[in-house]
Amino acid sequence: MAQDGPTGLERFINGILPENPVYRQVLGMCPTLAVTGNMKAAMTMSAAVAFVLICANIMTSLIRDLLRPHLRILVFTLTIAAFVTVADRALAAYLPEMSKELGPYVPLIIVNCIIICRCEVCASKQRVLIAASDAMGQSMGFALALASIATIREILGTGAWFGVPVMGTWWPEWGIMVLPPGAFITLGALLGVANWLGTMRSGKAATGEK
Amino acid sequence: MTLASELVLIAVGAAVINNFVLHYFVGICPFIGVSRRVDMAFGMGCAVTFVISVAALLSWTFTFYILRPGAPLTSWAVRSVTGKADATLDLSILNYIVYIFVIASSVQLVEMYVRKFFPRLYKSFGVFLPLITTNCAILFACLEIMKHVSVGAGGGAWGAGGGAAWGLAQAMTLAIAGGLGFTIAIVIMAGIREELDHCDLPEALKGPGITLLIAGILALAFMGFSGVDKTLSGLMGGAQ
Amino acid sequence: MKDSYIGQAWLVLLLALAFGGMLAGVQASLSGRIEENKRRETYDQIPSLVVIRDRRTGKVATRADAAKTVEVVTDQGKVAYHAFSSYGKPVGWVIKGAGQGFADRIELLVGLNDDATKILGMYVLDQKETPALGDKIRGEDFRDRFRDRFTKEPLVARPVVTDASAGNKIQAVVGATISSRSVCDIVNAAVADFKPWLAAYQAKGADERPGGEED
Repeated sequence: MAQDGPTGLERFINGILPENPVYRQVLGMCPTLAVTGNMKAAMTMSAAVAFVLICANIMTSLIRDLLRPHLRILVFTLTIAAFVTVADRALAAYLPEMSKELGPYVPLIIVNCIIICRCEVCASKQRVLIAASDAMGQSMGFALALASIATIREILGTGAWFGVPVMGTWWPEWGIMVLPPGAFITLGALLGVANWLGTMRSGKAATGEK
Repeated sequence: MTLASELVLIAVGAAVINNFVLHYFVGICPFIGVSRRVDMAFGMGCAVTFVISVAALLSWTFTFYILRPGAPLTSWAVRSVTGKADATLDLSILNYIVYIFVIASSVQLVEMYVRKFFPRLYKSFGVFLPLITTNCAILFACLEIMKHVSVGAGGGAWGAGGGAAWGLAQAMTLAIAGGLGFTIAIVIMAGIREELDHCDLPEALKGPGITLLIAGILALAFMGFSGVDKTLSGLMGGAQ
Repeated sequence: MKDSYIGQAWLVLLLALAFGGMLAGVQASLSGRIEENKRRETYDQIPSLVVIRDRRTGKVATRADAAKTVEVVTDQGKVAYHAFSSYGKPVGWVIKGAGQGFADRIELLVGLNDDATKILGMYVLDQKETPALGDKIRGEDFRDRFRDRFTKEPLVARPVVTDASAGNKIQAVVGATISSRSVCDIVNAAVADFKPWLAAYQAKGADERPGGEED
């Protein structure tokens, strides 16, 4: 099959920063705000999303020739829902504390725009390997985004990182960072920074390279 | 406590105190995307409320009668097939798949209904209606209902707070109030953003950036409602 | 148009069957562990909830009193855990309480002595209180304040308690008075609901008691 567009490796690298699902595509906001109160929860969630995204992409790519336009979204949704159920049950069985903390946000991966978007845009049109590397790149980008927000919120909010105290006892814990307002403000500020960096870089490229 | 006071508590809780957008972080994508003008925002809020109610009705019915452990229809079917008097089948593993199908169907139903009876409204909704399928708020409402309907599987508690499985009234109240809360949040945000059009924003913050920052301040304001339900339940004489 | 719907339905049906099988497999292999996790949560806490601790040294009063076996008694959906020492002597009861906290529902375990005249401990199973404020009800500090309290009067949480060891006044978590009061209310309600049942249970002969299981 002719290869159109970026290769697998390019897709993988694209997913991490240039087409980062949170900062560039502004998708998947719900878990980004909800589970980034501490690093452990954020990393568990990104592992779950990675599992679902990779499995769903591979599955969709395998059956891409059988899909018809009208029922395609239905098939994506069914696939994603099945894998999310597996991920949720596995978490409840092997990491019960995390499962309780993440609560309803693991099943909400089903309606996470990132996964449906990747299935639609990439996996339904590309070979399995390319779809898989795209999924892995996007997952890494998502994990990076979650880690950046969770680090700020956890260190400022509780003085710890991954539960290990790093700030010492002099730090007055900014409890607000762990609460909803802190989530919104952190993500908004970081989005602004990401946009600013993006325009700076494209500005440099326009004046420097051309 | 009486059913009426329980419903009031659920409604106030879902709409204001634990607002779906500002406390539970669901429905953020349309919240950022559709909140530029008040009329569009209000339309989106109404559509979401409508879909959430239909979806909650269907998913409560499925969960209560078929999916939860010990559900009436499933038990009856299993007992007729196997002949054992106390056989049960726990179909709750299929919960999420059923819910997402219910939501997709509800969106289709609402779309057909609106197209038939309110064609002008349908035109103004445009592409929003199908997008509601990926709105986290609706699946979240279904999950909350599932949580409260499957109660009793974890070993009963003593005292009045044991909590009986939610009936249809409680489920519908949660759904409609949740949709109302979403509407309130998105309309407030739209009002603020309309004013922002006249402001001199830094380029990097335009769009999602400033919306999230303002949402943070709104969330801070709504945090002031915490504990109101405790006072309300005391006022209504609920035994807790 | 109709052909394509029905014609393509075979894919959806096939996938539905395949995924159904996969999920059935997941359910069969994992549901045991999940149930076990839920039970562990309660069982792991029972020994520390019914032990009688010397307030000064923090040690268990006598080793013979440590809860070794638990008999689960269920009655109309309510579950009570009866703990026995390794000598078979009844050590205490553990019951679950639940109710409205400041933010959301709180679920907790209460440890009582064998005739429910004293509260021996409290453990919060599930809470969604304000992080760094209300969720201090899970901390050892707050849990310790529930040890060795008489149940004849309901517990009351106060922001400032000068004589913490006496009576029924519990020092509330600083900045989380409502969460602390909710915990006390839930504990009081659970104990009040349990005491009459226990009196009836102990009045019955051993063979008339409702079913239980050894663990």
